[in-house]
Amino acid sequence: MSREDTFSRKLATAAAMLLFRSHRKPGVKGWELKYRLGKNYMKIIDALNSHLKMLGLEIKTVFEEENDLDKARFYVTLSHPLTLSDLVTAGWRIDEVAAVAVMLSILVSRGGKASVKDVLEILETKFPRWKAEAYLERAVARGYAEKTDEDMLLLGWRAKVELDQKDLLTSMLELQPEKAGEEKAEGDRQAADQDSTAVE
Amino acid sequence: MSAEKKLMIAREELERIIEICENVEKRGLNPFTVNVKELLSKLRKTLEENPTLDHYVMDAETMYKIATLVALQHKWLKEKAKALFVDAQMIATRLIAMDKKSIVRAFLKAWRPIVSLEQMTPQRLRQGLEHFLSLPPRSGERACGWKVSQRDVEFVKARMPVEERLAERLKDLHEKLIKAFEEGGEVNYWEFVKGKNFEETFEKAYLLSFLITEGYVDVKRNPLKNEIRLIPRKEKAERKQPISLVIVIGGESG
Repeated sequence: MSREDTFSRKLATAAAMLLFRSHRKPGVKGWELKYRLGKNYMKIIDALNSHLKMLGLEIKTVFEEENDLDKARFYVTLSHPLTLSDLVTAGWRIDEVAAVAVMLSILVSRGGKASVKDVLEILETKFPRWKAEAYLERAVARGYAEKTDEDMLLLGWRAKVELDQKDLLTSMLELQPEKAGEEKAEGDRQAADQDSTAVE
Repeated sequence: MSAEKKLMIAREELERIIEICENVEKRGLNPFTVNVKELLSKLRKTLEENPTLDHYVMDAETMYKIATLVALQHKWLKEKAKALFVDAQMIATRLIAMDKKSIVRAFLKAWRPIVSLEQMTPQRLRQGLEHFLSLPPRSGERACGWKVSQRDVEFVKARMPVEERLAERLKDLHEKLIKAFEEGGEVNYWEFVKGKNFEETFEKAYLLSFLITEGYVDVKRNPLKNEIRLIPRKEKAERKQPISLVIVIGGESG
């Protein structure tokens, strides 16, 4: 087998490892990639990353210990922000994402920790209590937050991977109330309609 | 004031300080709301007034908690700097004031969800196969049984011997099983429990479950052949890691 063949085979292996979930949590540890792809696995990951970027995806490396690639976790994430209509097409409910957004904004603004009571209090300004609690539980189950025995919420593993905390706070501070005209221009009406039907 | 009372007051004071520090840590409150300097001077004062071993121990613990609080202050500052010193209250106010869609739109700017696909792994396939093989067949091979309704269960229960007779029946069944084992080795479960009618089959299966749980009978299951074999013991064996085995009595009567 030529070098090029070997390389493209390894590229395909890396793509399968990163895109298909083989553990309870998504993502692959550095040592797993090293085991399957060889010690120069970062070269393959870089090559795959440039291929994925063309598709609007990218490989994100999350270090657990400083600069130790073997112990780091590799994920494939979107490289560009989603739009409201993308979100609905992907099967998310606007309400649920709003609840996650509220919860994460509170957690990030408070240094990664807040009480369940405080988060629920704000969520309840938008949703009925049972719904707020259900969304919170689901966000915890998905890994966006961790719940402690003392009823405190901590920033979860998924939030650390998927979220740019600085960007979140900046965009929350820049929040402007939605204008009906803008909404139409963005082509999000469909999403809005679906959302209002689903919620109400 | 007596020395004992003084000591008690000092202890209470230290406990209060520990409690304050723990509260800040547990509830994620702003650690700068606590005046560390004041706490330290209180600590010095109580230490000077009560130079006892008990007090030293308590003092060390309090000191440790205050040190944790200082570490928390350091972390808090670091996180605030990371969060551009944004006031949490301001964010909360904005979240309350804004509509859901605006919040989502702002969130989307900072959110890059993980892309991952579900797939069937060899391990999952193996689990599925094991589960499939452990299911009883719907018809044909099964030796006995109908679908058992709650009413049937109640009916059979009513016909069950009273408690005193139960021990006797168990003993009989155990002896029968030992005899069958001595004659032909491991005993097929379905052949053994098969009775003249469904009630008798059910009763035998019910009694046998007691013997198995008690450790008088071992059960060997072969999921590939869908076979359950019984190995009786003359003496009770202790179950170190007991597991549950569900046997459905259904199908056709023998």
